[in-house]
Amino acid sequence: MKRGLVAFLALATVVLVAVAWLQSGGLRQHAMFSAVTPEEAVQALMSEIQAHNYQQAYASLDRSSDTDLASFIRDVAGSDGSLRTYSSLQAAEVSPLHADRDQALVRVRMNWSSAVGSLDDVRDLRVRRDGSVWRVVWPKLALPTVPLQVVAVNYLSWDVIGRNTSQNWGAQDVDSPKVRITSMNAIARPGRVVILGEVENEDTVPAYLNVNATLLKADGSPIEEEGSFDLISHVLLPKQVSPYRIDFPGVRMDAVKSVRMDARALLVPASADPVISVSDQALSKDGLNRNVLKGELVNQSGRPVNIAQVLAAYYDNSGKVIWVSDGYVDQALMPQVPVPFAVDIPDDIAAGLKNYRVIVNHYSRLSN
Amino acid sequence: MRNRQETFALRTEASIWQRPIPVAAIILLALAIHGPLLVMQLPATTSYDANLHIFFASHYAHHWFNPWNEKWFAGFSQTTYPPLAHQWIALLSYVVGLAEAFMLVQLAAVVLLAVGAYRFAKLWVNERAASYAGVLAVFAGSIAFLVYSAGQLPTTLSASLYFLALPYFYSWCISASWRSLLKGVALALAAASAHHVTLIFGSVLFAAPVLWLAWYDGRENERPGAPILGRGLVFAAIAAVGVGVVLLPYWIAIIRHPIEQMPIPHASRSNFLMNWVYGMNYFIVPYGALILALPFIVIKGASNPRLRVLLLAFWVTFLIALGGTTPVPRWIFGRAFEILTYERFTLWATVLALPIVGLLVAHVIDRFPGLGAIGVSTAAIASLALAMGWLYWSPFRTSSSLNVDSVVAFLNRDGHDQYRYLTLGFGNALPKVSTYAAANSVDGEYNSARLLPEMTRYGAAQLTNAKFFGVAGMDSLRAMLLHANHYGLKFIFVHDPFYEPLLVFGGWRQVESYDSGAITVWSKDDAPPARTISSDAVPAPWEGWMWGLLPMGSSFLAILFAWLLVEPRRVQVEPRRAHEGATLPRETPERVYASEVRS
Repeated sequence: MKRGLVAFLALATVVLVAVAWLQSGGLRQHAMFSAVTPEEAVQALMSEIQAHNYQQAYASLDRSSDTDLASFIRDVAGSDGSLRTYSSLQAAEVSPLHADRDQALVRVRMNWSSAVGSLDDVRDLRVRRDGSVWRVVWPKLALPTVPLQVVAVNYLSWDVIGRNTSQNWGAQDVDSPKVRITSMNAIARPGRVVILGEVENEDTVPAYLNVNATLLKADGSPIEEEGSFDLISHVLLPKQVSPYRIDFPGVRMDAVKSVRMDARALLVPASADPVISVSDQALSKDGLNRNVLKGELVNQSGRPVNIAQVLAAYYDNSGKVIWVSDGYVDQALMPQVPVPFAVDIPDDIAAGLKNYRVIVNHYSRLSN
Repeated sequence: MRNRQETFALRTEASIWQRPIPVAAIILLALAIHGPLLVMQLPATTSYDANLHIFFASHYAHHWFNPWNEKWFAGFSQTTYPPLAHQWIALLSYVVGLAEAFMLVQLAAVVLLAVGAYRFAKLWVNERAASYAGVLAVFAGSIAFLVYSAGQLPTTLSASLYFLALPYFYSWCISASWRSLLKGVALALAAASAHHVTLIFGSVLFAAPVLWLAWYDGRENERPGAPILGRGLVFAAIAAVGVGVVLLPYWIAIIRHPIEQMPIPHASRSNFLMNWVYGMNYFIVPYGALILALPFIVIKGASNPRLRVLLLAFWVTFLIALGGTTPVPRWIFGRAFEILTYERFTLWATVLALPIVGLLVAHVIDRFPGLGAIGVSTAAIASLALAMGWLYWSPFRTSSSLNVDSVVAFLNRDGHDQYRYLTLGFGNALPKVSTYAAANSVDGEYNSARLLPEMTRYGAAQLTNAKFFGVAGMDSLRAMLLHANHYGLKFIFVHDPFYEPLLVFGGWRQVESYDSGAITVWSKDDAPPARTISSDAVPAPWEGWMWGLLPMGSSFLAILFAWLLVEPRRVQVEPRRAHEGATLPRETPERVYASEVRS
């Protein structure tokens, strides 16, 4: 009895631990790190990146990779306070595109958890056989160099003085800047109602703006209230126009009789600096065959912009706003360095759009 | 070997090494070890949950008979958590203040746990080994881990009360002593009032082995087993009814709103073999030197028929405490596996093992009197030292020590408490803000009470720690910020610049900065003043009265019974430990010698 019980407890414990190890993916992880297939090599690399083991990840790369450790880390972990530095790899989905005896092309769809939400990134990676294992060939990050130069800062800026610091925030003893919702369009999308349009600062001073919408029933009672959140440019300089979009998930259009719009503006200090130009805009398809608006952003000022958000408004033939979409750029905008961007457009919207307009919101650590 | 025999043969009286350690000495030791650490208020700065329990207690201090607390989640019911520990803190806080009251109750829990471990061990082994179990409980890494790292006061208090109740349960089963019945039931009700989970699992893991022991000892004494088992069932039935009544508001709350939110990841559910840091945190540190004793526990427990059920209870608890390292907890609990956390099972496994470890210590000291005592003491101190050192070495850091005075001052002036607020990057300092600020928050640290869809749909815990839950956490935070106006969420306090971009793009402006920029205040200018969010989870007034009276009453009753109902010595049952070669009889050094020679 004694020996039997001891043996049973010991054996059962070992078996249970082994079962859990297998269930937890221990065997799969072991196989993955052995990298005997191109997919396993990419998965192992992604796993190291996910765990922030950049040195091990770099060590696992193929020797033909023309990148160095510093460039590799800049590429996967970001630099200059970019959005990538506020991100961590959440998941990576690997699918083979092409493979022969010594080389393979593997597509990896990375999902990043970032400070502004979930971000997707798709890369096609070349993988080479190295003896019994496969290794990823990581291309070197191309970093454009900008010649030494002086950038004159002569953009407009507005300061607010004489503010009573004891008063409550948001309450000001001056008139609010005059802002006007210039267009509003309610559309039905799958599973939601969307309110979109444009708002203009008609004043001669900058405005800090939030736009809210309340959907009303036929009897005038509210169905739901939502705000534009990050689908608007909150700081509007004089005469500046911003698109906005407000989503009402779970609401059906036939339940809505009217919409009450509320644009609240506040006088704030503001500056036209940094100016970010948008160039080479074009409608095209991305690697996953989705409709996108592509282009390049160039920071025309002398200070880096850490995180940029592209906000695009799409118009139909009559000039009505039919959609507003946004996308965050995961690279920092260094002065004079062009950075590509792409924002999604739903297929049905892409078919009907006639024109579009892009504005850029930004976050810079120094200015906050 | 011959030399050792000669050494033993010279003894004619019990040496100091072979005497049981008095209970008073165990209590003094617990006070000496844990008293200074708690006087320094260590759990308030190093533990995860101490501030949470102080927050709960502060609500009872202000609203004893109203368990609806509007300071978190736009309103939640504190009937979702048994109140005894919190109410004792609240009661003592009128005299010494909240934090000090927490430390006093925690100290009482630690002392009672040592005594409980001793009294529980006495059921299974002799006085001497049991006294070693009591001493080892003082140094147990799992207790230090739960007190100073996890800050789980209700778990430690409940466990101590429950282990104190078990000897009365045994005594009632064996001797039908009504005094034991009353004291046992009162202690069990008090234990349930401190932490319901302990009672639920304790019924199977602790009480069932004790009932078996009563049956086994009864059989050895040629007593019929049926009455013993029947009395066990009577005790269980009375306790079940009592717990049902005392915690009725809890049962109503849990039936009305069962926990259906998305599971929130917890490291104690991990496979410790896949992540050595988790293994260190939840296995090596809590068990400490007890790991070295595992083979002895299994061999000794298996070799002695009287200890076998205790061994099995320990083994099952040990496997559950391993979280995802074995599939056992998932098999046992099903979906509830994703709701429970498993560090408390380590404490229970430790106390279940201590009777057998007490035997090991007695064995070692008998064989190597001076050296053995030094070795055992060193191992015990090393276990405690490792648990305390891990507070510093661990990669997991709490934010409990963050100075939140400026945040509290901001919220308590100029009518800022008309609005709700949120903290980001404050970690376990959030309850500190909530305890002392008049304003209400949409966030909170107690996951089981959350009903707001912005929090329950995403599988993330506190919004203040959103980034640690990846996409789920940030989506949950984003959903809450989207509905800021609905909740009157105007102010956000940021202690981690990671969250600033979302606030900037989402329409918040930085309005203040404290501690050289370590904490920034952000405001949403169009947020209206907060309004009451209606909820069907608000307890009825009679529930508030029950909640305010019965749990506390059960603890007073337990104290009263323990004080007044003294067991007559003649009905005390001496288990048949002396018949077993495995254990050491009291005050009989000759038989110890003989036992050693045999081995």
